[in-house]
Amino acid sequence: MEEFAIYTRFSAPPPCQAPRSSSPATPSPSLLFSSHTTKPLTLGPGLRHIPPSTITAALSGPLHTDPRKNALWIENNGGRYIPVQGDLVICSMHHSSVDAYHCSITPYTAPATLPQLAFEGASKKTRPVLAPGALVYARVSVAGKHMEPELECVHPGTGKAEGLGPLKGGMVWDVSLGMARRLLLPASKMREQGGLVLLELLAEKVRFEIAVGRNGRVWVDGGCEGDAGGGEGGRGDG
Amino acid sequence: MPAPTHSQNGYTVIGAVNGPIEVQRRDEIPDEAAIEVNVRPATGIGSPKERHIEHILTALLRNIILTHDYPRTLIQLTLQILSVPATHSTLPSSSSLPILPALINTAYATLLAGSIRLSTTLTAVLVAVPKSELEAVAQKGSSHVFAFDGRGEAVLVHSEGKKFEIEEWEQACEAARGCVLG
Repeated sequence: MEEFAIYTRFSAPPPCQAPRSSSPATPSPSLLFSSHTTKPLTLGPGLRHIPPSTITAALSGPLHTDPRKNALWIENNGGRYIPVQGDLVICSMHHSSVDAYHCSITPYTAPATLPQLAFEGASKKTRPVLAPGALVYARVSVAGKHMEPELECVHPGTGKAEGLGPLKGGMVWDVSLGMARRLLLPASKMREQGGLVLLELLAEKVRFEIAVGRNGRVWVDGGCEGDAGGGEGGRGDG
Repeated sequence: MPAPTHSQNGYTVIGAVNGPIEVQRRDEIPDEAAIEVNVRPATGIGSPKERHIEHILTALLRNIILTHDYPRTLIQLTLQILSVPATHSTLPSSSSLPILPALINTAYATLLAGSIRLSTTLTAVLVAVPKSELEAVAQKGSSHVFAFDGRGEAVLVHSEGKKFEIEEWEQACEAARGCVLG
């Protein structure tokens, strides 16, 4: 047990246990690790821990630190989306089976399962009918590298949709994964952290509905021509 | 995203990676990703020479890519040779080494741009013994390709050409190490 604790909860390692790096531009380890915290060090995407005390980069990108949470991660803008539990995604219906829809989150990957009863108020008699190609805003309920992802359009605790469900009308665009992450920041942080003011400014002029999928898809419905007025109806927590 | 292009020894190669994607049942590996490398020549269709290069690259990249992070998937890498130097046609048809460093370095840049998780870096270089133009080396010398990872260890060594001594090979290895690792 002692050894296990060292592997998973090593906080503030001494400088000799520095992350291995060949780049001269890497800041010194003492700047990266906060030595005043008792919180375990958290490694985010792009970093790899090789026991006992080596941390290396697995992806390219700028290194970010959060001293308050004692976290390190690499910000990466590209690549293919890999489903993570709790992420909101916009997927398209591929085909339907007896009790589930099979939806495509990213092209060329195995379809994810969306149970036909995982919608708000759905029962065996009243369930949404989705044609192949229909867009669905869903949450990833089960994900892991050894299993096929599963989706849901309802909060399992409350039974409410909370903005999830079939997306009717509108248009869908592909954006980079980094842009999707910025668009999904809470409205209060979008301006300083995400550097985005577009949605705020647009919402002052026109009425629209937007859904942002973590898989790099943005859906926007502007209503009909002539619809104008203030206000923005955001879906989900985007 | 712009596709990575790399030029070395007069060869220019452009690369693209698609992955992790769904894999055909017969290629599926339960706990790691299958890797497929396609090398397309500048003109014409691929020959056994390209298949041989693909085989070398697949074996090399399997050690660089963190394949265990993507079980039961496929990582598909395509390398298109855009241009070859004028001396290319004078080389013996069996010669496959001059193009290899350009292909390896493009493959690495492509995987990096495609956000595929990698265990280390990769750099390759061609060494000609004695130091001269490629066609002269093909006539009476030898050529060697060395690839080094981020720790400075040789991960790929290939040689071709006329007879060479072990001392010559060691000098070539040191020259390559000095060139790549500085």
